[in-house]
Amino acid sequence: MSFFSLGHFFKRLPYKQLTRHQNLFTLIKQKPRTQSTTLSSVLIKVSACSSSSSSSSSSPCTSLSSIYPPLAESPYLSVRICCQKLALDMFSEALLCFGASSTSVDEHDNDADENSDEIYIDSIFPECEDVDECILNAANSIGLKEIPCYEVKMGEQCNWIKKAQESFHPVEVTKGLWIVPEWSTPPDVQATNIILNPGLAFGTGEHATTKLCLLLLQSLIKGGELFLDYGTGSGILGIAAIKFGAAMSVGVDIDPQAIKSAHQNAALNNIGPKKMKLHLVPDRTFPASMNERVDGIVEDLSSHEIRGISETEKYDVVIANILLNPLLQLADHIVSYAKPGAVVGISGILSEQLPHIINRYSEFLEDILLSEMDDWTCVSGTKKRAKEDH
Amino acid sequence: MATLKEILTRRPVAATIRLTVPAGGARPAPPVGPALGQYRLNLMAFCKDFNARTQKYKPETPMSVTITAFKDNTFEFTVKSPSVTWYLKKAAGIESGSSRPGHVTASTVTLKHIYEIAKVKQSDPYCQYMPLESICKSIIGTAATMGIKVVKELE
Repeated sequence: MSFFSLGHFFKRLPYKQLTRHQNLFTLIKQKPRTQSTTLSSVLIKVSACSSSSSSSSSSPCTSLSSIYPPLAESPYLSVRICCQKLALDMFSEALLCFGASSTSVDEHDNDADENSDEIYIDSIFPECEDVDECILNAANSIGLKEIPCYEVKMGEQCNWIKKAQESFHPVEVTKGLWIVPEWSTPPDVQATNIILNPGLAFGTGEHATTKLCLLLLQSLIKGGELFLDYGTGSGILGIAAIKFGAAMSVGVDIDPQAIKSAHQNAALNNIGPKKMKLHLVPDRTFPASMNERVDGIVEDLSSHEIRGISETEKYDVVIANILLNPLLQLADHIVSYAKPGAVVGISGILSEQLPHIINRYSEFLEDILLSEMDDWTCVSGTKKRAKEDH
Repeated sequence: MATLKEILTRRPVAATIRLTVPAGGARPAPPVGPALGQYRLNLMAFCKDFNARTQKYKPETPMSVTITAFKDNTFEFTVKSPSVTWYLKKAAGIESGSSRPGHVTASTVTLKHIYEIAKVKQSDPYCQYMPLESICKSIIGTAATMGIKVVKELE
């Protein structure tokens, strides 16, 4: 059948080579419907438009690609499917079951679409997935009489990265403290401005937890402290500490992309490597249940790290803005870095997860204070001076 | 039922996005990245929020999440527990359902499995008002379509 031979032909084309050279190559194929009713004749577009689009957007693409890691540039297929409005929900669910990574449906409010019976689903598939088979299975599983019409395009990585970045603008965390993306000018030149290129690491200053941590930091740093940012992301807390007057910041993270982002952000703020050190650490959390005791194993690994980066009990301020499970599993480890009497701040927790954190950390910390914003909380306490546990 | 105030302040919806993301594993890379990025949503905020809310699930469990993106680049999302078919496959210890359900049995599960799955499903937003018994019945029905037999106890 011509149906299958066409599919095989396109599969043999070297997709991988194209993406390696980072060209925006748009390959479109369209399958004819088995029954023709309301839709007009089959269109086969040649990718003549792609050459013009690639030349215009290649320069920003290459600069962006120096920041974003290979992982974010992994190719994907973007498929636009036309289906009946009535079958929409079921069809999206079926697509997800059969191999689509995501489906999205745009809401239209122009009259042309009100009259027609059909709506478009934009779906994203991983590159290796057999799109034809998936759509066929999905249509069969919900009993559609005909195979919907669709077109397949190679995903344009830079497009979504650029669009996601567009949503960043200067944020005023508090009076006199602004977080400014690299491409904007600071609205208030007098204030403390932290310049960031957010990249794909967490910490743009917009999230409630980042704000809570920044406020905490501002109240704690008086000048000359040693600060540890556990889970540094974009390095925002480390940079803020230096700007507030800390002597040195150390940032650790398990994600190499975060360390890369943090290096770049430190440079953007003219903070040299002497003032801010960054380290990549192994992921020490285990996919174990919360009841399991992992302390024995953690102790073992932490001794390696001590030789590698820093000693325990050296930092005046330690802040960890990560997630509940790592916070619970690494509690001993995180607190071990702080000097007795130093302040430890914990965030990245929802209000409902608070009891677990307080339970776990109250054996190490006293004078526990809470601050809350938008359902996120930040816990801070001072490390107990008398050490009962080791 | 939406109150009048809610209707008046309802933001215009730009799109509805459905995704499958592993619990605690949302990153700004594909599949999350392109799907949300093209509507200019704050990827990091979603990832952090999603990861925080799925901490109570076993890592890497595929969660289905529905995101409503509004025209002003804000969004809301609801996370649903993994599909019944996924739970059944895990409970039965098989990779995929039977190719001929009704004729060929792929595997078996006990009533206890069904009960446990129903309890998890009851915490889902749309199942909360259903009695546990009816949830169990629908799970048994799904098992039948996959070719999984339900027995009282494993022999």
